[in-house]
Formats: sequence, C-alpha cells, structure tokens
Amino acid sequence: MNRLGTVIGFTFKNKVRTKSFLITTLLLALVMTIGIHVPFFIQLFQGDDTAGNKIGIAAQENTEIAQQIEDYVAELPDNDIEFVRMEAEDTAALNEQAQTQDLAGYLQIVTAPPAADGSAAFPQVSYISEGGSVPTDVQAVLQPALESAKTRFITEGALSDEQIAQLTTPVLLGASSYDETSGTGAAGAEEDKFNPMNFITVYVLMTLFFFSAMLTGNMIASEVTSEKSSRVMEILITSVSPLTQMFGKVIGVFLVGLLQIAVFGVTIAVNLMLPYNRDVLAGFDLDFSQMPYDVLVYGLIFYVLGYFLYALLYAAVGSIVSRTEDLGQAVTPLTMLSLAAFYIGIFSLNNTDSLLMKISSFVPFTSPTTMIARIGLGEIAFWEIAVSLVLLLASIFFFGWLSAKIYRTGVLMYGKRPSFKELRKAMKAYKI
Amino acid sequence: MTERLILQNVVKRYGDKTAVDGITLGVKEGEIYGLLGANGAGKTTTMRMVLGLIYPDEGSITYGGRPYGGDVQRLVGYLPEERGLYPKVKVSEQIVYLAKLRGMDGSEAEKNLKYWMNKFDAEEYYDKRIEELSKGNQQKMGFIAAVVHRPQILILDEAFSGLDPVNVELLKLAVKELRDEGASILFSTHRMEHVEELCRHITILDRSKTVVQGDIREIKSGFPREQILLKTSAAVAGLEAIPGVTGVEGDPEHYIVTISDEAAAVPVLTEAMRQSEVRHFEVKEPTLNQIFIRSVGERHE
Repeated sequence: MNRLGTVIGFTFKNKVRTKSFLITTLLLALVMTIGIHVPFFIQLFQGDDTAGNKIGIAAQENTEIAQQIEDYVAELPDNDIEFVRMEAEDTAALNEQAQTQDLAGYLQIVTAPPAADGSAAFPQVSYISEGGSVPTDVQAVLQPALESAKTRFITEGALSDEQIAQLTTPVLLGASSYDETSGTGAAGAEEDKFNPMNFITVYVLMTLFFFSAMLTGNMIASEVTSEKSSRVMEILITSVSPLTQMFGKVIGVFLVGLLQIAVFGVTIAVNLMLPYNRDVLAGFDLDFSQMPYDVLVYGLIFYVLGYFLYALLYAAVGSIVSRTEDLGQAVTPLTMLSLAAFYIGIFSLNNTDSLLMKISSFVPFTSPTTMIARIGLGEIAFWEIAVSLVLLLASIFFFGWLSAKIYRTGVLMYGKRPSFKELRKAMKAYKI
Repeated sequence: MTERLILQNVVKRYGDKTAVDGITLGVKEGEIYGLLGANGAGKTTTMRMVLGLIYPDEGSITYGGRPYGGDVQRLVGYLPEERGLYPKVKVSEQIVYLAKLRGMDGSEAEKNLKYWMNKFDAEEYYDKRIEELSKGNQQKMGFIAAVVHRPQILILDEAFSGLDPVNVELLKLAVKELRDEGASILFSTHRMEHVEELCRHITILDRSKTVVQGDIREIKSGFPREQILLKTSAAVAGLEAIPGVTGVEGDPEHYIVTISDEAAAVPVLTEAMRQSEVRHFEVKEPTLNQIFIRSVGERHE
C-alpha cells in the first residue's frame, strides 16, 4: 500500500510538471474561456444594431393591411420591431427616405391585379433593404403577421378575430410515454428528462469520458513504453510487484486527468459567474438548479469504472511495445473501441431506446457512454443499471488480471511487437 | 562465512530450448562471485531468475535461507546491463524514488544518495536530468541507484562496460567497499582482468551448462601451464626443435614459448643458457582469459 502511494505520487508529480501538460491545460482553458464568451461577443456586436429594428411600411392605398401587420406585431410578447409609415411616390424616394431615417429596411405593399374571377387579390409585399434579404428574426415576425392579414383579407370579416387567431396558430403534436399516459410512472420525474440540463449533462459526461479515456490512456501507454525502452522497467519490476506498479501508474495518471478536469471546471464556472455572461445564459433558458443529480452520480460512477477498464488495457498495450514509435499502431484497436463507444452514444442521443443502445449499454467497453445516455434521456429500470455495473466491474477484474500478466511478460520482451501467440508462449515460459 | 545467495540445480527452459541447465552456486557474505560465459550462455537468464523476474523450472534459489518474496526484493540491488533510469527526471528524484520503492525511508535515501554522489565526485549532477549527463556519468548514477538502499545482495550485469579507466577504478573501489561491508555480489562481465582482480570464486557457463566452477587459484593450478616467458641477453636459435615446444613468438632476447607439456620447460631453459645469458625465465600460470577461451572455445569447434 505504501509503495502504491509512492508510485502514484511519483507518476503524478512528474506528469504534472511536464511542459506539455502545462501548455495543453492552459491552452484548453483559454479556448474554453473564449468559447464561453462567444455568445456575449455576438450580442455585443448585435447590440449596435438595435436602431436597425425600425422597419418602414410603404403602404400607399393598402393602409388597412399595414395597420393589421402593425397590430399583430405589437401584440407579440417581447417585440422589438418598430414600424414607421412612409409616404413617398416612387421606389427611389422610398430608398432615400429609408436611408436617411436609418431604417433596417421597409415593406412595400403593392396592390396586385385582380384575380381571374374578378375578386380582389392580396397585395404583393416585399421587404426592401440594403442587403436585399430578410433577417431571420424579422422574417419570423413578419411571416405570421402577413398570413394573419391575408386570412382577414380573404374572409372579409366572415370570421371572428379568435377564429383567425386559431387558424394562424400551427397545430402542436404532443408526445408522451405510456407510463405518463397511464399515470403509472413518476410523471414529474419524466418531465425532467426533457429539460436541457439533462441533455447537456449527458453530452458533457460522454465527451469527457471519450477524451479522458483517449488522452490519459495514451499517456499511460507511452509512459509504460518509455519506461520499458529506457530499461527503468527492469529495476522497477524487481522492486515492486507489477500489479502495484500498474495500478499506481493508472491512478496517478487518473489524478492528473482529474486535476485537468478540475482546472477546466473552475475555468468554466468562473466564466459563467461573470455577470454579463450570466445574462446571456439566462437568454438560453438554462437553469443550473435543474441539474439532474442522479444522472450526474451514475455518470461519474460509470466514468470512473470505464476509465479504469480502458486505462488498464492501455497499460498492457504499452508494455508489449518496445519503442514509442510503434505505440500508435498498437493502441489503434483501443482507440477504435473508445471511438465506437463515443459515436454510438452521441448518435443515439435522440433515440436512446433503440436495440443498439440497449445492447451496447451492457457491453463493458461501450456502457460508460451509452448507459449514461439511457439513464439521462431514456427509460431504464434499476436492475438494468445494476447488471451493467456488475458486468463492468467483472470485466475490470478480468482485464486487470490479464493486463497484469501481459504487463509482466511484455516488459521482459524486447524487439518487435509480439503477436498474441508469442505472448502466450512467453507467459508460459516465464511461468506467469 | 555462510553463503547468503544459493542457487541449487536451477534449470530454465524456453519451450524446447534449455537456457540454463542445472546451475548450482553460492555467494557468501562479503564476496564477489564472477559469473562468466559467452554471449547467450545463460548469464542474463540466471540473473533474471535470481532477481525474481522469471521463475526457474526446476531447482531452488534462496536468499539468506528464505525463498523469493516481497521482503527479499528489498534486500536486492540490481544494475542492468543497459542502465535503466528515467531520461527526463532529475537524478536526485528518481534515485530517492527507487530507494523508496525498495522500502527505504525518504530522508535516509537522501543521505545515502549524498554519500555516493560525494564519493563519485558528482554532486553537481544532483539536480540535473539523466539525459543531460554523459554516458559514463549516467552509468555512475545507475550504479548509485542500484546500491542506494544498501542491498545485502547486489547483482551487477556488465557493470564496467563503456567506462573510461579512471571511472572503472572508481567503480571498482566502490564495489570493493560494498564487499567489505558484507554485501554478496554476483558479478558478470566479459573483462577477465576485472574478474581476476575482484572475484574469489567463479562459474563459467557455456551453452547453458556449467563448464568450470570454483576458486580461481585452484582452477588455475588445475590447468596446464603452457607458456614460458624467456628474456635473454642475446638471440637464441633452435628452440622450435625441442620436443614439446609448439611455437616461439616475440623479438630476439624476449620470447614467448608455447609448450604442449610442462616437461619441455627444462630443455628450453638449458638450451637458452647454452646459447646466451638468461635474464628472466618463467613458466607462466594460465590467465583467466586463456582458461575461458579453452573451456568455452573448445566446445565451439
């Protein structure tokens, strides 16, 4: 136990002090800071344009329609579009007027020729601006306003205001689960699933798992290989049991990874706490008090266990390679595995109850990501979580044992990378 | 003195190839034991078995009467043939780390490290990284790493290879100091003069088998003397004609005469005295080098 502590301490200290660690950590923290400020910057630049929310209406004889548009828009909640009536003879004069009044653009309502049966047609409406296009937020307001005006125009007062309002609202297709409709499930809890915090938590945990499994895994493997190629290994293995050594290394690097994550966490938290960023986030409708703690706790358990599974295998792979140059090729299968775990999880976020997800949430190599997705976003029974956890634990013990054997044999084999057959033969010969 | 490290009939096979075939030896307290052999004779395998890196198929290895185990690991120090240290870690840090792994307390390790650094006149490297040091200095650091925890059993695999003569002397002194303090040292090398100087007992391995074993002096007296060193004041002719003489080399007045039989020594001396004044006459004891080549080389034919 004491020696395990020594190995952990040594690994941790040496890893943290390397330049590459310091640089990547600081760089990533910087990138995160910038990333968090992006919405703020966007708002900052947009802020100058608020004057541009003034839109002109050149209605000519169609003042009734112009009035209806204005009324419709004025009734919208948090409306920031302001209309200005424009009276000018021709387009050139209107353009000039729009520019001198600093308008974002103007609506030109031109009476259309009557339809074939002689009834009056709805006028043609166009938005004229400097850029020649309608900004999406303006379009989102104007489109329903025009539709409403058109309905009113065609029905010519045959429908009440309420009926028109109903006509113009789109049909909502609701969705809910069997449990909810039958009232058996905890309805309150189920509603929580669809809050954005859940989605974000799952997404973050998955990404975190993928990156730490890959980055720290590679760190461990290259550490082991370099110990082997510098032959420190021969001294180490005669001083400490390979199992102690391997676990010391895995835990040490894990702590380094945790430190890195903590640094990032603090960076993000500090940035989010800045008052101006808080306002921007509020605009995204995110509420941190809605944090799904159960998902977080399960997620962390799966994260830690999954990490150990991958880390032990990376250590074993590192031990069979003699030169760092050969390492990339040797870890490819593990990289593929973690990639598969990541992509299955990410691409199934909207469909967590598929068969693929169900199967992969019991496979130890993919369960750390897919299980989180199922817990956070899908329907899952407790026994499923328990079975998956037991499988994961069992495979950690199995692969830990196997890795220790490979490690013990691998570190004594130099030269080219041995095949599995050669490794087995060597294990037998060394009586390991 | 009791034997601390004992190998009894140790056999190791890799598949159908036997790497070590029934080696038996014992290293006493305060003794340096020479393990010699050509490349591939089984020296490294033997040492690895002593270190517990691999386990013997047959036979036993005991350390002060105990079998291999966690507590034995602390007693053993090892200097591998290719020095093993972290290239990018400070000298002081890694040596203290290695000592701690062998169960030594941190402050004591620090003290011992300073002692050896001082002894090797290498204090300036204390805070340097291994990759910054010259090869010879790296080797010294490797040696310190092997002995810093004051091992009772020390395994030195080719300890002096690649060192300049000054550093060889320095390391030899250190090895002798450890021996005098009572350490049991298993020593392997290709340099016979080091073995002759340091070791009392040796084992010569050839193709996994023990071919020569025992006290160096006894081994030497057991081998026939085959060389005569002859120094005269004038040239001597006709030595080749004497029965039993197989060759004559060297300059006039300074000959090395090879003989197949020690009985030829007297006729050589008589002949030399007849022709000239003899200044030096010696029937030479075989060197370890010759013994090694004879016992290993003969089988290679």
